[in-house]
Amino acid sequence: MKHLVRSREALVTLLLVLLVVVTGLFNPNFFKAASIVEIFNASLTLVLIALGEMFVILTRGIDVSVGATAGLAAVVLGTTLNLGWPVGAAVLAAVLAGTLAGALNAFGVTFLRVPPIIMTLGTLGIYRGLMRIITGGSWIENLPQSIKEPNLWSFLGVPFFVWTTLALLALTAFVTLRVRLARYFYAVGDNETGAYLLGLPVRWTQFAAYTLAGTFAAFAAVVFTSQIGFVSMNAADGFELKAIAANVLGGVSLTGGVGTPVGAAIGALFLTAVHSMLIFLGVPGIWDNAFAGIILLIVVYVDYRVRSALELQRRQARIRGDAGGGA
Amino acid sequence: MKWTRYLRSWEFALFGLLLLELGVLGLVNPVFFNLENLLYSTLDFTHILFAALPLTLVIITAGIDISGVSVMGLASITLGLVWVAGVNVFAALAVALLVGVLAGAFNGFFVSRTDVNPLVITLGTLFMFAGLAQGMPALLDKLGFKAYGSAGLAAYQYEGITGLPDAFIALTEGSLGIVPYPFLAVLFFALVLSLLLHKTRFGRYLYLIGVNPKAAVYSGVPIRRVLVWAYVLSGFGAALAGAMLTSYFTSARADLGGDALLPIITAVVLGGADILGGSGTILGTLLAGMILGFLRQGLLALGVTNDLIQVVVGSLLILAMAAKQLLHVYGEYRLKRKALSSREGR
Repeated sequence: MKHLVRSREALVTLLLVLLVVVTGLFNPNFFKAASIVEIFNASLTLVLIALGEMFVILTRGIDVSVGATAGLAAVVLGTTLNLGWPVGAAVLAAVLAGTLAGALNAFGVTFLRVPPIIMTLGTLGIYRGLMRIITGGSWIENLPQSIKEPNLWSFLGVPFFVWTTLALLALTAFVTLRVRLARYFYAVGDNETGAYLLGLPVRWTQFAAYTLAGTFAAFAAVVFTSQIGFVSMNAADGFELKAIAANVLGGVSLTGGVGTPVGAAIGALFLTAVHSMLIFLGVPGIWDNAFAGIILLIVVYVDYRVRSALELQRRQARIRGDAGGGA
Repeated sequence: MKWTRYLRSWEFALFGLLLLELGVLGLVNPVFFNLENLLYSTLDFTHILFAALPLTLVIITAGIDISGVSVMGLASITLGLVWVAGVNVFAALAVALLVGVLAGAFNGFFVSRTDVNPLVITLGTLFMFAGLAQGMPALLDKLGFKAYGSAGLAAYQYEGITGLPDAFIALTEGSLGIVPYPFLAVLFFALVLSLLLHKTRFGRYLYLIGVNPKAAVYSGVPIRRVLVWAYVLSGFGAALAGAMLTSYFTSARADLGGDALLPIITAVVLGGADILGGSGTILGTLLAGMILGFLRQGLLALGVTNDLIQVVVGSLLILAMAAKQLLHVYGEYRLKRKALSSREGR
């Protein structure tokens, strides 16, 4: 029970279910399978970006350039497609561009030792600028049908991209739980000096985290480009902040070393679901941001209160000399 | 205190850089040697300074406030709505500034009462304030209050609340001699903040909190109150920036200042404040903000596009930081070597 109370994933899932039920009571249409699938489908971009961001936050860093990276990757995808590249090659180019953008952040943070928020704030400007320079500021339209098609594929009524994202999520969840190399992210984030003294490759672990954030942002770019069918110049604008919010909501701690991929994905799903729910509740879309901000504040505040209450309990137990006090 | 100390300070380097920049820009384009022109062009970036100056105080405490860009929009739209309600525009300005103070107090409350990272808290309020600014006019309109001004919804969506009185527009159009009012206000604001930071106990507390919060608590610093005031000042500065933009663009909009986050933080960091807390000066932020602002003006005058300027500013931020960090690492290395050799010599 204690474990459940402390788990942010549980808290946010509960909140999500509660909101779904309330929305459903007000508007039964919401329960129809299509709407649920629709929410999943709409959340994919944020889920993918948030997953990449998670690695960075786990190492106690921050990356505010992921939205711009996704935008840049989308521009590379759109441009190469319109140059007549086959879909496979264009997607590969986009993923490569995202990964390189991530690697540049990684280089600055790990080797030039620029504080993460400064480095990624700088590249946020650079990538957004590059996007417009590449395209001359105009949208990329008239993309070939081949990129839009995957979005129409579905299996058991669930779109192809939902399946692939779920598969990727499952893979990430498995790897971060069971693979030694991936545990390094947690070790470095929890105690950098300790990890260094244990002989872990601290710098390279951080390098990998920022690079992965870029790769995942590029995945997101492929998905939303396929979904919308064009690339606007403010594609994925503001997603960096939403991705951080999603992680925090899902229990990935900015102090490093704590959090799971499933948590990050639930956080992202939550933020997207809020949008759909507000529409079903008849609240205009402009209230999205206010609602998302308030929820974020409430969740971190409740989390803080629960943590300090538990800490107090633990200390009192220790004073009384209870057997379980130290645990 | 030896005067050579000033020559080696970061602020002096920034001052030299500013003069160098203006010199180069002036050689390329003589317009920059015209003082009146130069001062007039500050109007394009005074809002960055208004927000960046008090943000320095927050960053000195090892905090951060990214919600300022939303407070700008919130203050602007508040000003517009209060004015539409029939209140005198200067009273509306006071209300808008009050909203900024309250927004800052809200941030400060959460930052000082919890151990949650200030980035998370101000990220939450960034969304919340932006959402409020976007939602308020629609809500008021639904309640039967003609929130969109005389021109109606379509015009509002396109250009915000317009038709503000000339007396209010004159706040940014007017000037004392050749110095525009907003720039004068920025200088005054910087002076006040500088005195506050360097000549009062409050200012010293800010540094202490940034260097070592635990030591601050144990030495009896009213840490919560000090933090709240730092964020209040940041909110107030952002509201000033929002009001200034409202007057400058002659319309109240919810989305004002949306793209100012990068230049604001760049100004503070380039000004010498350590993002990890404990160092930074108002003068540094002021000079760095002006360097960035004139750089932008200069590049625009040379026909460089806005997009490329973004790339330049981003690169500048990274390179400046990298140079500073590497120098720091080298300094530590030299210190260690010195310590080692002095031990061997004994």
